[in-house]
This record gives sequence, structure tokens and C-alpha cells, in this order.
Amino acid sequence: MSDGGFDDLRDVRVPRPPMRVIGLAALVIVAIAIVWSSFYTVGPEENGVVLRFGEYVRTTDPGLQFKLPLGIERVYKIPVQRQLKEEFGFQTVRAGVRSQFSTQGRAEEARMLTGDLNAAVVEWVVQYRIVDTYNFLFRVRNVRDTLRFMSEAIMRQVVGDRTVNEVLTVGRQEVASLVEVKLQELCDAYELGLRIDQVVLQDVNPPEPVRGAFNEVNEAQQQRERLINEAQSEYNQVIPRARGTAQQTIQQAEGYKLDRVNRAQGDAERFTELYQAYALAPEVTRKRMYLETLNDILPNVESKIVLDESLQGILPLLDLKSPGTGQTQGGR
Amino acid sequence: MRIALIVAAIVVFIVLANSLYVVNEPEQVIVTQFGEPIGDPIIEPGLKFKTPFIQRVHRFDRRFLEWNGDANELPTRDKRFIWVDTYARWRITDPLLFFQRLRDENGAQSRLDDILDGETRNAIANHDLVEVIRSTNREPVETNLTIEEQTVLEDIETGRLAIQAMILEASQERTEDLGIEILDVRFQRINYVEEVRQRVYERMISERQRIADRFRSEGQGEAQRIRGERDRDLKEIESEAYRTAQTIIGEADAEAARIFAGAYDRSQQTRDFYEFLKTMETFQNTIDQKTSLILSTDGDFTRFLTSPETP
Repeated sequence: MSDGGFDDLRDVRVPRPPMRVIGLAALVIVAIAIVWSSFYTVGPEENGVVLRFGEYVRTTDPGLQFKLPLGIERVYKIPVQRQLKEEFGFQTVRAGVRSQFSTQGRAEEARMLTGDLNAAVVEWVVQYRIVDTYNFLFRVRNVRDTLRFMSEAIMRQVVGDRTVNEVLTVGRQEVASLVEVKLQELCDAYELGLRIDQVVLQDVNPPEPVRGAFNEVNEAQQQRERLINEAQSEYNQVIPRARGTAQQTIQQAEGYKLDRVNRAQGDAERFTELYQAYALAPEVTRKRMYLETLNDILPNVESKIVLDESLQGILPLLDLKSPGTGQTQGGR
Repeated sequence: MRIALIVAAIVVFIVLANSLYVVNEPEQVIVTQFGEPIGDPIIEPGLKFKTPFIQRVHRFDRRFLEWNGDANELPTRDKRFIWVDTYARWRITDPLLFFQRLRDENGAQSRLDDILDGETRNAIANHDLVEVIRSTNREPVETNLTIEEQTVLEDIETGRLAIQAMILEASQERTEDLGIEILDVRFQRINYVEEVRQRVYERMISERQRIADRFRSEGQGEAQRIRGERDRDLKEIESEAYRTAQTIIGEADAEAARIFAGAYDRSQQTRDFYEFLKTMETFQNTIDQKTSLILSTDGDFTRFLTSPETP
């Protein structure tokens, strides 16, 4: 706009926005910024920790909350209701119905020495929650790493006081609960502001090269049980039956006894009765019985020979052995 | 006029920005003037003032800090090589001293490396491996293995916790004049070095095989014992039954004999009568169709064949 050929434009004024409008716009922007930065939302599982110029002033509950704007007050949101989890010796690669795990790069975490100077591989999970937001934020730096260090140290301390057999079998539950207690104690001592909900032992194994030998022990143990059971079963097949048979033998003898005694008593009674009758007239009764007996038996005897006492030497001439008859009886 | 106002505002802003500062909750601050510390360290959080431009603010963490050393390969007193990984927890107690001696956290970490690694090395070298691993002399819980195979836990004198405490104490002495305090030192990981590990695995394998052999032989032995027991019990049961039965039979026979004797043996008459009766019965039972009877006329019965007279 110098002295060129544009003199006719000299009077034309480019319309500028008035200062008042600019000021107004700036004011609106500032107002929006103030309003925008003076409230915040705390999620249902969170607590808000509010700092004013870096100084802790209050903790707020879930919901819409207000604060002083423009960076005077700042908010940290801490998920106090959420259960957090640290995995040791493995890593969940993809959680879901069929979670995938990986031990890649985590092998060292799981390797430890037992009290009998053997090696074991222990994988575990620590579930915890933030209960003290102030301690969690302002007492300890790097809470998560600290928790991991502590957890590894405590687990090794507890496992280091047990035999490899204990750790692998009967001691599992005890190890987990002891670690839980000791870890909580250490959390309190370190003022981490955490509560340990649970320590869960996952796979507890002998180291890979030794695993076969451990399985062999299990198999041998099974084998031992099997052999013993088989022998026991043979025993059970035989002995109860033998006991039954023994009872049978004894009962049969008891039966024999009853039979024998009863019969003997019967016979004796019969004899006594008969004798009492006989005693009344012995001579006649005796004769009668004798003759009756002969009367019974003689008709059955086919060959009857009566020898006169005065005829001597006839006996050797008799053919006493007729074919088919093998028996001879002599009488008086 | 307006430009002067704007310039003044900018100047005020710069001066304010340089003299106002925030001490955050987890921080402690010392202020220096030309490198010289001024006043006490500021621990209270909040908005603070300082002389602009000539004073500088140095911030230090007020929280418990972590230290995690590199794993070191160390020999124990019983000459076993192990990897030892420790962690410690420390904090800056005297920021002024800390600032003078260590300048910043990097300096502190590297000094802690020296102190803690050295003390750890000393402590490990002065103790057997088992002392480093175990913390108490607890008795192992009995497992399903037999007592002999139950690997026995060696007794310890010092133990892991005491060794940790030793390292802590020795390190604390050496950090006293550094403005820092070590609160805890622990073994995070202890493991065999690779060569030792292979030998330990071999030992574990042979140990397991020994246990497996024992199980197998135990099973066989126990089975044989049960079989022997079976044979013994069988014989016992059978022979006892035989004995009892024979006793009962004997008793029965004796009882019968007593009964018979009681009936038959009362007088000469009963004895005679019994003999007669039994003879008659025997005749009836023994003389049958096939019997040949040769009777003499001399007999009681046949005598009437020759004569009707009673002799």
C-alpha cells in the first residue's frame, strides 16, 4: 500500500475483528478450560486421589467429582476394587476360555533350590488389591516391581525350608498359605498399601531333566501297591472260604456228636426197657427171643445142613463152595 | 502503551514461573544458590517460593526406593558356585547429605551396587550353601516315602534370614554417611550355576531311581509276605478245624460209651442179656440167603430134631 497506482484503495479499510470480540473469544476458551478441568469421573472400581499443588488433600469415591481447575488440583485414579495379579514363572499370553500361557523368558523366576539342595520349578500367582491408595502412591516407588521381588524372595525362602518331596506333594498347600501370610507381613512392613488376596501355586515340578525319574518313582509306587493288592486278593480268595470250610467241619462233628449221643441214649433206653421186661421172666424170654431170631433167619438160608453129632468125618466131604457163594457160616 | 503492558505481563509471568514451584507428595527438595544449598530440605508438599533465577531446585524421591542388583556368580564356603540375585529397599533420609555425596539417584544406585554386592559376596563366602537356603531347622513333614528315603534336611546354624540380616547390618554401616538408609536386603533368587546344575540333576535322578527300586522291591517283598501269611493261615484254619472236629467226635464217642456202659454194665444179668441180645442181632444182620448153615444136632435148637426130650 505504498504510493503506487492504488490510490483509490487508500480509503478502503480491511475490516478487522474488534478487540472486544477477541477478548470475548479468549474469555470463552478460558471459561471452557476451567469448567472442563474442574470435574472428573471416578469409575465404579476406582478411587480418586486428589493432590493440590502436589499435596495430598482427599480421596474421592466413584461418580462425578469436582476439583479446582487448571492444574491446581490433580487426580490419580486407583482401581481399588479390581483384583490385580502377578504371575511368576509363566505369563498369560491370551486370557480367555482357553488361556494360553508361555514360560518364555520366565524360566529363571520359577527355578529354585529346596532345603535338601535339590532343584524344583515352581510357578505361582499372587492376587492382590490396593487397599491404601496413599501408601500405594506416595510411600513406595514402583510398587509392582517391589511386589515381584518380595514375592520371589518369600517363595524361595519358604521352599528353601522344605524337602523337594514336600514341595512336590504334601507341602503344596502349606507352601501357598505360608507364602501368603509372609508376603502380607512384608507388604505391611514395606507400606505398599496392598492386600494379598491369595497365593496360588500353579505347576510345581521337578526340573525337566529329572522329571522322568520322578515319574518312575510314581510308577514304582503304583507297582508296589498293585503287587500288594494282588497278593491281598489271593489271600482274600482263599482264607474266608477256608474259614467257612473249617466251620463246616466243626459243625459236622457237632452233628455227629448229637447223633451219636442221642442214638446211644436211645439204644441204652431201649435196652433198659427191654431188660426190665426180661428180668421179670428171664428164662422164657431168652428162649423166645432166641427162637424168634432163628425163625427170622433160618428161612432165608438156602443151604442148611444138620449133622448128627454121632456121624463123624462127614464134614470134609461136603462141597461148601458152590459157584457164586463166597460165604460160609458156621453155627454152633 | 499497550505494548509496554504486554511486556510487563510477560516479565511478571517469567519471574513468577521462576520463583513458584511445586513440591509433590512423594518428593523432597533442596534449594541451592549458585550451587550452595540454602536452608533446610523441604519435605512438606505444596506450592513454594524461591528467589528467581539465582536459586535452583533439586528434587529427590521421598518414597522407599528399590534396588535390584545383577545376579552374581558367587562361591559359598563349601565351594559351591551359585547365582545370587538380591534386592534391597532404601530411601533418601538426608537429601542434603545425599546431594553432596551422591549427587543423584544414579550415583546412589552405583554406590549401592558396590556396597551390597560386596557385602553379599562376603556373607555368601562365609557360609555353607545350606545356610543360605534354609531359614529354620524345621522337621520335614512325612511324605509317602519311607523314612530312609525321605531326604533329610541338614541342620543349620545361621540360616537365610540371619544372613540377610548380616548383609543388611553391614551395608547400613557403610551407607550411614551417604544420607541414605537401607531398610531391607533379601535374596531374590539363588540358583546353581549351569555346571553344578547338571550334576545336581544327575544326583536327583540317581536318588529317584534308588527310591523307585526300593518301592518295587518293597512291593514284591510285601506280596511274598502276604502269600506266606495266606499259606500259614490256611494251614492254621484247616488244622484247627480238624483238631476241634476230632475232639468233638472223641467226646461223642466217649459219651456214647459212657451211656452204653451205664445201661449194659449194671449187673451180671444186664451184661449177659446184652451179650445175648447183641448176638441175636448179629445173627439177624449177618446170616442171609447166601449163608450155608451146618447145624449140629447137639445144638440147643436142633436137639429136638432127634429127640423131643429136654436133656
